Amino acid sequence: MKLYQEKNNYELLEIHPDVAPTEIRHAYKILFDLYQDESIATYSFFSEKERKEILSSLEKAYLTLIDPESRKLYDRDLVGIGGLEEERTYSNHKKNPSSIYDFKKTHVQGLVTIRDPEELKYRASQNPVIQNILDQDTITGRDIKKIRTELKITLEEIAEATKVRIEMLRIIEEDNQELFLPMVYMTGFLKSYARYLQLDEVVILDGFIKYIDKGK
Amino acid sequence: MSQIWSIGGGKGGTGKSFIAGNLGILLAKEGYKTLLIDVDFGAANLHTIIGISKPERSISDFLNRRLATLDETVLSTPIPNLYLISGAMNNLDIANLTHQQKIKLLRNIARLSYDYILLDIGAGTSFNTIDYFMIADSGIFVTTPEPTSIENVYRFIRSAYFRKIHHVLKAHDFRTLADEAERQNGNATVSNPEILLHVIKELDPEKGDIVEKALRTLDFKLILNQVRKQDNPNIGELICKIIERHLALKMSFIGNLSFDDHVHNSVCKKLPFVDLYPYTRTALDLRECCKNHLSINKDKTSVQYLTA
Ligand SMILES: Nc1ncnc2c1ncn2[C@@H]1O[C@H](COP(=O)(O)OP(=O)(O)O)[C@@H](O)[C@H]1O
Ligand SMILES: [Mg+2]
Repeated sequence: MKLYQEKNNYELLEIHPDVAPTEIRHAYKILFDLYQDESIATYSFFSEKERKEILSSLEKAYLTLIDPESRKLYDRDLVGIGGLEEERTYSNHKKNPSSIYDFKKTHVQGLVTIRDPEELKYRASQNPVIQNILDQDTITGRDIKKIRTELKITLEEIAEATKVRIEMLRIIEEDNQELFLPMVYMTGFLKSYARYLQLDEVVILDGFIKYIDKGK
Repeated sequence: MSQIWSIGGGKGGTGKSFIAGNLGILLAKEGYKTLLIDVDFGAANLHTIIGISKPERSISDFLNRRLATLDETVLSTPIPNLYLISGAMNNLDIANLTHQQKIKLLRNIARLSYDYILLDIGAGTSFNTIDYFMIADSGIFVTTPEPTSIENVYRFIRSAYFRKIHHVLKAHDFRTLADEAERQNGNATVSNPEILLHVIKELDPEKGDIVEKALRTLDFKLILNQVRKQDNPNIGELICKIIERHLALKMSFIGNLSFDDHVHNSVCKKLPFVDLYPYTRTALDLRECCKNHLSINKDKTSVQYLTA
């Protein structure tokens, strides 16, 4: 067995060098929970110092691998010292995650609906269900979905207009946090989503972030 | 040859005797000829768990030569297929066995012929406790979801780890290598057995290999007992993960046993729990654990600790 200190970033996170970012994030979350301060499973196994060291090495590994650019550099180094068989052409790999923005998709003319922003705003302001949700302290993905269905807009339409893959929007709407999209992506998608519905993006984002934080 | 399971884990009061007794009953009911041995000589109470109030004979009759063989100390129980060797000592007998007595006992346990032999191990991490634990084909740790109890499991595993290395290397080699490891790493070796193995491998790759193989034969299991609704149900899995990540030992999670006040009632009534309350959550959990453990252990061949 390799000593903990000698493990490379992939070994530390217990993932295969080919995995997609969502899996990296997932692996990191599991290990973070394992070593965090309140974990009674590790409380007596490590000294405070050991625990801090492990957490910081995990964080470093995570941050290196979650960013595609730094991951590429790291892989190159790893190949250099013989830690990885060949340079990972990770972005061309077949296990490569499907790209989250759907640029290539051919435009289906019939799907594009021209919306009048003022009309949308007006409808939202007259709808008590929507107004109630916007007044809430936290806003869940399901709440956001509720707003959309109240406005009688399909998810396909939003995906089409914002160029965000429909699967990603669905993860947000279904509160499917196990899939653990990186927060920066989630907030990015949500912004486009809110803008398209003519909602106040600050209100939506604030409520949603508060909701995610509570779940942690 | 019998399959030996030991049930231990360091801390008193976690439910080792409760689990040993009830697993024994479940195995017997499955039709396996099962023997329970109480080796918690200081606080022997396994007989009560299975509904025997005053054992007529005990291990001490064998150790003190009042009975010629260990076989003669076996008691039958109210449950068909289930037998017991009690660990109750009378006041004149000492609870702490000598090294010779312990070796004699371990040899004779290994010679008994049952389908399953379950050892109920006392609290603490003395050499004696650890040796009873390690004679088994499968060592089952019992802990509650409390930090103090989990801490004892880790302490026990570390001691077992060192004990195993010690056993393989023989006293002299062990001292030399441990001293060298200590010199290289300061006090790190004390808290961190994995560093010890690493150093041994560097200093003497051949011996390091042997030690590593021996450590790999250790096969631990974990049961989380007295789990309440508000407890995190994943703690057991997390503990196993830590052991595998940092000590490279095999440790499989067997299951959670719910906390239930009926357990207390059954102990007070001196009647076996799974018989008295077969339809409680905890009785179902026990059956589940028994089933899991049987299936995990099915294709395992017996590891002979004494002749290793
Ligand atoms: N699952 C459980 N739910 C409620 N009480 C339990 C449970 N398991 C054990 N106990 C209680 O804990 C006490 C200690 O159990 P015991 O088996 O004697 O522990 P040990 O042998 O580990 O010292 C028992 O008196 C029993 O009432
Ligand atoms: Mg006991």
